[in-house]
Amino acid sequence: MNRYLHFICACLAAWMGSVALADEPSGYPITNPFLATIVGTPPELVWPVPDETEIRQTDLAVRVLPERHLPPVLSRYQELHYRLAWHNQPAPLVFLIAGTSSGYDSPRLDYLKRAFWQAGMHVIVLSSPTNHDFIAAASHSGLPGLGEHDARDLHGAMSLAVEHAQAKTDLQITEYRLAGFSLGALNAAFVAHLDSDLQQFNFSRTLLLNPPVDLYASIQRLDALARTQVEGVYGANSFYEHIFQKLARYFESGGTDIESGLFYDIQTSDNALTDAEMAMLVGAVFRFAAADLNFMADLITEGGRYAPAGEALKVSTSLTPYLRRALFCDFGCYLETQLWPDWSNRNEGKTIEDMALETSLYGIADFLREDQSIAALTNADDFILNADNYQFIADTFGDRAFLYPHGGHGGNLQYLDTVKQILAFMEGDGHE
Amino acid sequence: MNKFLFTMTVTVGLALASAAAQSAEGIPEYHDPLVDLTIDTVGTNYQFERSSLDALKIHDPIEGFNRRMYRFNGQFDEYIYLPALNAYKTVTPRVVRTGVSNVFANLADVPNLANSLVQGKLKKSGRTTARLLFNTTLGVLGIFDVAKAMGLPQEPEDFGQTLGYYGVPTGPYLVLPLLGPSTLRDTAGRAVDWSIEDTAAYLDNRSYMNDNPWSYGLYAINLRYINGFRYGSLDSPFEYDQVRYLYIKLRELQIKQ
Repeated sequence: MNRYLHFICACLAAWMGSVALADEPSGYPITNPFLATIVGTPPELVWPVPDETEIRQTDLAVRVLPERHLPPVLSRYQELHYRLAWHNQPAPLVFLIAGTSSGYDSPRLDYLKRAFWQAGMHVIVLSSPTNHDFIAAASHSGLPGLGEHDARDLHGAMSLAVEHAQAKTDLQITEYRLAGFSLGALNAAFVAHLDSDLQQFNFSRTLLLNPPVDLYASIQRLDALARTQVEGVYGANSFYEHIFQKLARYFESGGTDIESGLFYDIQTSDNALTDAEMAMLVGAVFRFAAADLNFMADLITEGGRYAPAGEALKVSTSLTPYLRRALFCDFGCYLETQLWPDWSNRNEGKTIEDMALETSLYGIADFLREDQSIAALTNADDFILNADNYQFIADTFGDRAFLYPHGGHGGNLQYLDTVKQILAFMEGDGHE
Repeated sequence: MNKFLFTMTVTVGLALASAAAQSAEGIPEYHDPLVDLTIDTVGTNYQFERSSLDALKIHDPIEGFNRRMYRFNGQFDEYIYLPALNAYKTVTPRVVRTGVSNVFANLADVPNLANSLVQGKLKKSGRTTARLLFNTTLGVLGIFDVAKAMGLPQEPEDFGQTLGYYGVPTGPYLVLPLLGPSTLRDTAGRAVDWSIEDTAAYLDNRSYMNDNPWSYGLYAINLRYINGFRYGSLDSPFEYDQVRYLYIKLRELQIKQ
């Protein structure tokens, strides 16, 4: 999920981090899926990884689309930025693909990068094809959201990044592996599928972390979260004000310092966040991601829906009016107004359901079932999945499906047992 | 109920519950988190849109200048500040960096104390005073953050907060060179804090720093070291708008503490 969530919830995380923990003897302890998604894993249960400063790493940038011209406000994205962590001896390289609207520098991926690096692998972290930098720098169509198209963009960017990294450093690669989180996991499945035809990387391991199964079913669920009814927010009330007022009331009633992270008593106080409030918060973060996607795709394809087509946006240009407009368009709206018209032009006579199937794991189910080097990890309470999606993962991957009862959408990805499982699969221990 | 009994009960209860949660095939049983929520149909209640539009109403009359300054700060960070910070991290062990942070934090306790007193937060002032004493006497100029170890975390109080406490409105949003997001009120506050530190001349620090200009470089590096924010980290083309809103709201929260 994108980093904005971590930012807006930074105080919430500190505030609630140590509460709502069931005294379960083993297993990830946060049983509320929304709370798990927001606060992640309690520090004492996190699989230890080295500090960022101890990693041999650097950020690099490579030109992917030489013909693309961007306005000054986006000049930074002429090149695709990526993060490389490497060892000074030959080792396997893992490509790590970020989730919806997340960049190569998001904290969740930094953690996974450190875990893989510590296990002796090189790592290249790439932004999600839906993130604004990737759309600008590496998306041929400028309209991400189609499984095969995104896979081609990614595969091309990965080839360039590897060549570039080898030219810039002493990187020596023995074999290739692949992992992705959330939408990045769906991307990883399609990249592995594409590569099985191209035979370029021949990934020895592909791991899907909290993948959606049917992207458009997941989109509907995420869009729905932002329409959650929250008690106390009616008429002209603002949801954010409502949340901030709750926090403020807590502090006024003698709550502790915002910086000190001593918020043990909050969830037992009158100002604890409800499920509806947490769901709405998660939904709102995804709606901002949808606004980013709508704005960027439209800007690159010169649709003129948000920013006027053909006007060079300067660094000093206020983007606020465009954000105001883009906020009204959720993921479903992106699908209808931008993705579908373009796709149906190229696929006459086909329906929107055909398009949906082509971008789902259902479409490549045989490949996923048969290829023993691909595994999936998810939770029984991950809110991006419906019951059928969840059952599909269990049936398709069989004993390569790592399923946990709790953790929401990625909340348990730093948890001791989960990371142990992730590394065991990626290193190839106990499989095949 | 004593704690042991309680733990036992919970453990047994959960063991039963988790046994029940395994479906026939031995996989954890699916649970739909959305099932307990009340969700509006599309186009009936614009709660998200209304709230978000409202959040974008922030007084920002010199937005063009601010956006340019925001970009400048981001580039300064990328090409100068962060490389310097990385070099600093490479050449100094963590214990030294922590020590440096503590020295400057200790000096900043002087304006913290003044502002706590002006706001009449006596209890807090008491704690800040204690912190100052512990740190300077026991901690050898605060090199080891003894106070923190003793359970007295630093409580930042700046003059901008003091002004806010007495109802001075924030004024227009400002992005300061190198220092980043601020408002007219908080900028004035920052200037006052600097002069408090100057006037108090606590441990003669300012004249020591003037005699050793490198210490200002260290001060600047440390300022960046203790601040975890990175430009571009919100992964959005609308980062400026989001940071502007969050800055205003987090300051409001700080003032209410």
